[in-house]
Amino acid sequence: MDTDKHGFKTVLLRHETILFAVLAAEWIFFDAIGQNFGTYDNTCDILRHSCEIGLLALAMTPIILTGGIDLSVGSLLGLCAILFGKFWRDAGMPVPLAAACTIGVGALAGGLNASLIAWLRLPPLIVTLGTFSLFRGLAEAITHGVDTFTDFPASFLFLGQERWLGIPAQALVFIAAAIFFWLLVHRTTFGRSFRAIGFSPEGARYAGIPVGRRVAMVYVLAGIISAIAAIIYTARLGQAKADAGTGYELFAITAVVLGGTSIFGGVGSIHGTLLGVAAIAVLHSGIAHALLPGEMAGMLTGVLLILALAGSILPKTISDLRARKAALKIPKQTA
Amino acid sequence: MKKYFREISVAAALGILLLALAIFAPSFFQPQPLLSLVTREAPTLVVACGMALVIICRQIDISVGSQFAVCSVCAGLLAAMHWPLALVLVASILIGATFGAFNGALVAGLGLPSIVVTLATMVTWREGLRWLRQGVWVDLPNGVQWFGLPQMTGQWTLVLVALVILILLALALKHFAIGRFIYAVGSDVEAARLAGIRPRLMTFGVFVFMGALTGLAAMMNTIQSPQVDPNSGTGLELKTIAAVVVGGVAISGGRGTLLGVFAGLLLLACISPALTHLHVEAFWGKVIQGAIILLAVVADGLRNRKQRN
Repeated sequence: MDTDKHGFKTVLLRHETILFAVLAAEWIFFDAIGQNFGTYDNTCDILRHSCEIGLLALAMTPIILTGGIDLSVGSLLGLCAILFGKFWRDAGMPVPLAAACTIGVGALAGGLNASLIAWLRLPPLIVTLGTFSLFRGLAEAITHGVDTFTDFPASFLFLGQERWLGIPAQALVFIAAAIFFWLLVHRTTFGRSFRAIGFSPEGARYAGIPVGRRVAMVYVLAGIISAIAAIIYTARLGQAKADAGTGYELFAITAVVLGGTSIFGGVGSIHGTLLGVAAIAVLHSGIAHALLPGEMAGMLTGVLLILALAGSILPKTISDLRARKAALKIPKQTA
Repeated sequence: MKKYFREISVAAALGILLLALAIFAPSFFQPQPLLSLVTREAPTLVVACGMALVIICRQIDISVGSQFAVCSVCAGLLAAMHWPLALVLVASILIGATFGAFNGALVAGLGLPSIVVTLATMVTWREGLRWLRQGVWVDLPNGVQWFGLPQMTGQWTLVLVALVILILLALALKHFAIGRFIYAVGSDVEAARLAGIRPRLMTFGVFVFMGALTGLAAMMNTIQSPQVDPNSGTGLELKTIAAVVVGGVAISGGRGTLLGVFAGLLLLACISPALTHLHVEAFWGKVIQGAIILLAVVADGLRNRKQRN
C-alpha cells in the first residue's frame, strides 16, 4: 500500500495536493470578498512582489533538503543590493558588469558559508547566524547607515517595473530559476544526493556521495540566488538601501516548510515550495484587497504553518500511540 | 582546564577587550554609564539563561522576542491600570509561561520541530500584538519606573536579580537532579528515557520555564523607562542565541554552562559601547558580532577536527 505512489488516495492526501486546495480556497474567498482581487493586473502584481522571496525560497529548498538552513540570505540580499549600487555609481561600471560582479560577490559569500559548514562541519544554524550579522553589518558599515543608491537607468528599472510579453519582467527570471531548481532537485543525481544527505549524512558518505562538495554546492547556489534577488529588488524599488531584505530569510523558510519540505531534511519538493510561496503571497494580497488589517496576513501565515506541520505529523503520532498501546496490552494478556 | 576551555577563552577575550579599553579609552569605566549598560543587559541575561536551558535540551526558541514584547505591553497596561507592581510581575511571568506552554505543547506533545513551531509563534504573536495595539506606546504612571525607588537603587536591584537568577540556575544545572536531566535529554533522548527520565515532560517544562523567564525579563525591561515600546524585544532571540553559542553551549544539545553564557553575553554587550569609546563607527558592531560568533564556532570546528584525526 505504502509503495503505491500514484494511487488515488495517496495523491489526494499528499501535502502538495492539500496545499493546492488551500491556495484555491484562498483565491475563491478573496475573489468573492475583495475588490479587484482576481483581475489580471493584480495577478501580475502578486507575481511581481513574490519574486524575491520566491527566489530565496527556491534556493532554500535544497539547503533544507540536506538538513541544513541558511539564515543569512536576507542579509546577503541587503549587502548585494548595496554593492550593486556601489559598483554602478561609485566604480562607474555599466549595469550588466555591475550585476555580474554582484553575483560574483554573492557566490563568494555563499562560499564562506559553504566552507565553514561543509569542510569544518559546523552547524549551519550557527554559521549562518554569524554571517546573518556579518553581512548586514557590512552593508550598514559600507553605507554608514544612511547612503542610498537611486537614479538607476530606465533600461535597468524595466527589469523590476515593466512587463514583457504581458508578464512582469522579473517573473521571467523567477520562472527560469524555478525550472532550473526543479530539474536540479527532481531530475538529476544531485537532487537524489541532497535527499540522501538529509536522511543520513554518514549513510550518504558510505554510498559514495561526495557529501562535502554537495553541501557546499547548495550554499554557494543560495549565495548566487540572493545576489540575483538583490538585483531584482533594486530594480523593483529603484533604490538600494542597507536594510533591503530584512526578515526575508524567515519568509523563505516559512514558504519552504509550508510547501511540505521537512526541516530535518530528506523530504520535500520544489513544486511544494512554489505552492508555499503562492499561498503566502495570495494571502498577503488578498487581505490587503479585502481591506482587512494587514497584520492578519502574518498571523494567518503562522497559524497555517503550525496546521501544515501538525497535519503532516499527525498520522505518524497516531500510529505511534497505537503501537505503544498495543505494546502495553500484550504483557497483560499473557499474564 | 580542558573541560572549561571555552568558558576560559571567552572570559580571556572579554578581559583583553576590557584591558584595551582601560588603556585606550579609560572613559569607558565611568561608574554611571557602566551601570546603565549593565542594567540594560540584565533582562537579556535572564532570557539568555532560559535560552541556554532550551538549547542544552536540544531545542530552540526563536519566539522569545515576540513573547517579550507581548509581556512588556501587558505589564505596562496592567501597571497603567494601577495594579500593585508585585501582582503585575506575577501576571507578566504567568503570561510568559502560558506562551511557553503553548510552544512546549506543540513541541513536546505533538513532536513538531521546535525551530518551525517557534518561527510560527514568533510571527503570530508579533503580528497579533501589532494588530491589537497598532504600535501605540504605553504610558506608565508615576512610581512604576524603578519600582518607585531612586534610579541607582533600582538599577542595582535589577542587576542583582539577574545575577541571583544566573547563579541559582547555574548551581541547579550542575548539582540538582532536574538540571542533570536537562543535559541527559539533550545528549540522548532515548538513553534518557531508558534511564527513567520523561523527556517529553522535561522538554515541556523547559519551554514553560523559558516563557516564565521571558515574562520576568519583560517586567525588568518595562520598569526601566516611563513608556513601553510595543516593538521591544525585536531581535532578542538572535542576540540571546548568539550569546549562548559564543558562551560554548553546543547547538546539538547536552553541553555547555551558564557561566560561559554569562561571559559570552558580556563580550557581545560590550562591543558597541566599546566602539563608541574607541571612536569607531557603531555600524561595525554587527560585523564584529558576526565575526565573534564565527570565530567561536570555527575554534570549535578546528578542535573537533584535531580530535577526529
